[in-house]
Amino acid sequence: MLHNILIIFLKEFKEVIRDRKTLIFMLVLPTVAVPLLINVMTEFMIKAEKKAAEETLRYAVIGESNLPDLADLFMQDTGFQQVIIQDESEIREAIADERIKFGLVFPDGANQLIVDGGQPSIKLYYNNAALVSRVKRRASQIINDYSDHIRDERLATYGVSGGYARDKILNPVALEELGTANQRELIGERFGGMLPYLFIIFSFIGALYPAIDLGAGEKERGTLETLLLTPVPRLHLVLGKFFVIFSTGVISSILSVAGMGLFLLAKGKNVTGPMGEILSSISAVDLALVGAMLIPTAAIFAALLMSISIYAKSFKEAQSYATPLNMLCIFPAIAAMLPGVELNWKTAIIPITNVSLAIKELIKGTMDYQMTIVILTSTSLIAGALIWFCTIWFERESVLFRE
Amino acid sequence: MIEVINLEKKFKIKKKRKNNSELDPREHGGYFHAVRKVDFTCQNGHILGLLGPNGAGKTTVLRMLSTAIKPTAGEINIHGFNAIHDPLEIRKQIGFLSGATGLYGRLTAKEMIVYFGRLHGMDALACQKRLESLVDILEMGSFLDRRNDNLSAGMKQKVNIARTLIHDPKVIVFDEPTTGLDVAAAEAIIRLIEQCKNEGKTVLFSTHHMHEVERLCDSIVLIHEGLVTFTGTVTQMKHQSGQAQMDKAFLALIGKEDLHVA
Repeated sequence: MLHNILIIFLKEFKEVIRDRKTLIFMLVLPTVAVPLLINVMTEFMIKAEKKAAEETLRYAVIGESNLPDLADLFMQDTGFQQVIIQDESEIREAIADERIKFGLVFPDGANQLIVDGGQPSIKLYYNNAALVSRVKRRASQIINDYSDHIRDERLATYGVSGGYARDKILNPVALEELGTANQRELIGERFGGMLPYLFIIFSFIGALYPAIDLGAGEKERGTLETLLLTPVPRLHLVLGKFFVIFSTGVISSILSVAGMGLFLLAKGKNVTGPMGEILSSISAVDLALVGAMLIPTAAIFAALLMSISIYAKSFKEAQSYATPLNMLCIFPAIAAMLPGVELNWKTAIIPITNVSLAIKELIKGTMDYQMTIVILTSTSLIAGALIWFCTIWFERESVLFRE
Repeated sequence: MIEVINLEKKFKIKKKRKNNSELDPREHGGYFHAVRKVDFTCQNGHILGLLGPNGAGKTTVLRMLSTAIKPTAGEINIHGFNAIHDPLEIRKQIGFLSGATGLYGRLTAKEMIVYFGRLHGMDALACQKRLESLVDILEMGSFLDRRNDNLSAGMKQKVNIARTLIHDPKVIVFDEPTTGLDVAAAEAIIRLIEQCKNEGKTVLFSTHHMHEVERLCDSIVLIHEGLVTFTGTVTQMKHQSGQAQMDKAFLALIGKEDLHVA
C-alpha cells in the first residue's frame, strides 16, 4: 500500500513543483504577501493614528457669545481651526462634506446659567462612524477641562478644595479596577482574529491549484482513465493525490507563518502602536505552534478540494466550485474575529473555527493546551471522513465519467 | 483469451433528458441501455476488430473490458480472471491505448513510462530493461528526456504506446489509436499491432478506418445501437452485406447503405 502511495505522491509532487502557477501560489505568494500585508496594515494604522492625533481639526461654533470662555479655549488651542457657520442646521452637511470635523452649539443663556450654578447642555456634532477618529476625544478634552475648572470653583464656594476632599464629595465610594488580562491578552483579543484568517486563506490557496490539477485537470487531459486502469486500488490513488494536495497546503500555510516571522525579525521592533505591541509579544515558539495548528486545517481543505476536483468535468468547472467552497471555508475562520466567540470544548470541535480560535489564543498567550487534543481529533476525523468520501467518488462511474 | 458473455450496461438518464426517450430505442424505463447482450471471444494471437458507428457502444464495451466501469449484467473473462471479481488482476493483464489518451505534460517521456511501469508493480531494474527495449523498437531515444508538452503528436503517441506496453501485457486494447495521426505515425501503430499479434498477444482493435480492419483483423464484431449486428471475418462481412468494399459493407450492416461511399 505504502509503496503505491509513495510512487503516486512522488510523481504528482514532481509535476506540481514543475508548474509555475502552483509555485507562485504555494511558495512565493505566502512568503511575500504576509509580510507585505502586515507591513501595509501596520504602516496604515500608524499613519492613521498619527494623523488623527496631530491633525488640525476644523470646527464651527453656533452661539459663540453664549459661552465666550469655552469658545476662547478652542480658539487658543493650535490643534483647532474655527470655520464660520451661521446655523445649527448646516452642521451635519458641513461635517459630511468635510468642511469641519465637529460642530459645537452653545445654548442661549449658557453663561448666565453657569454663573447661577446651573448646568447648560452643549451639543457636540461629529462623525462617529469613523474607525480611527480622535475628534470626540480631543474636543471633549477641552470641554471637560473647562467643566472641571467650573466645578472646582463651585466646590471652593462650599469650602471644598484640594484633590482628595473634592474626590470624597464626588466619589464617596472609590472603585479600584484590577483587570487580570495583561497587555498581550488585551491586544490579542482585539487583533488576534485577523492573523489566523490570513494564515488559513493561504492554506486554502496553496492547495487550490494542485487539487484542481490532480483531479479535474487529469480528466480534462485524458490521463485519469489511464491511471484508473493500473492495478492500483482506488484508495491508494486517492491517498497518493491527497498527500500531495495536503503537502502543498501545509507548505503554503507554514510559509505564510514563516513570512510573518521574517517580518518580525526585520521590522517587528520598529512597529509602534497596538500592532507593534501585539507583534513584539509573539515569540518563535508561538509561531511554531501556530504553524502546527494549521496542519489539520490543510488536511480538511485538501480533502474538500480533492472532492470537488474529482467531481468536476474540467478545470474550469472545478474553479467555479472552488469559489463557493472558499467562502464556506473562510466563514468559520472569520468566526474567530467575532466578539464573544471563544475556544471552549464546544467550539474546539467546529472545524476551521477551532483552529482559528486556537491561533488567536496562542497569540493572546492564553492557550489551553488540552484543547489541542480535541482540535486535532475532531479535525482528523473530519479529514478522514472526507478522504473516505473521495474514495467512494473515485469508485463511482457517474462521477469519473460524468458527461 | 477474452471471453464476453451477454454483456449489458445501462446508465440512468438525467431528468431533463427523460422527455426525449421515444427518440432512441435504447432509452426506456429511465435508463439508457448502452450495451445489450453483447457476446464475443478473442483467442490469443488474434486481432478482433470492434466496429460500429459513433455512439454504438464500443467505448462502453472497452471500458468494461478494462474494468474502468462495471457491467450491469453479463460476464467478462480475460485469461481466466473475471472482470467483476478480479479487476486488479485484469488490469495487470491489459494494456489500453486510446487516441484520446493524454500525457502528463510536465513529466518527461521517460518519467511517464517508468511511472506506469512502477504502478504495474515492476521494480526499477525490470522497468529500465523494458524501457530500453521499447525505446529501441519505437525509436524514442531522441526525445526520451524531453517533457511531454514539447513533443509532436507522433512522438506523444509513441510515448503512449510505450506506456501501454511497459508491463508487457497479454491483452492489448487499441481504441481508435490512429485518430489524428499523419500517415507515417499511423503506419507505425499498425505495424505495432501486427507485431503484438505475432508475439501471441490478444488484441482488441476499435477503429473507423476500414482499410485498417481489412489489413489487421482476424475477426470482427460490429455493434450498432448497443447490439451485435455482425460477428465473423472480413470476407464473411463482405459476403453477408453483398458489398465488395468494406466501407459499403459496414454501412449496409448498420442500415445506411443508401449513403454514398467514394
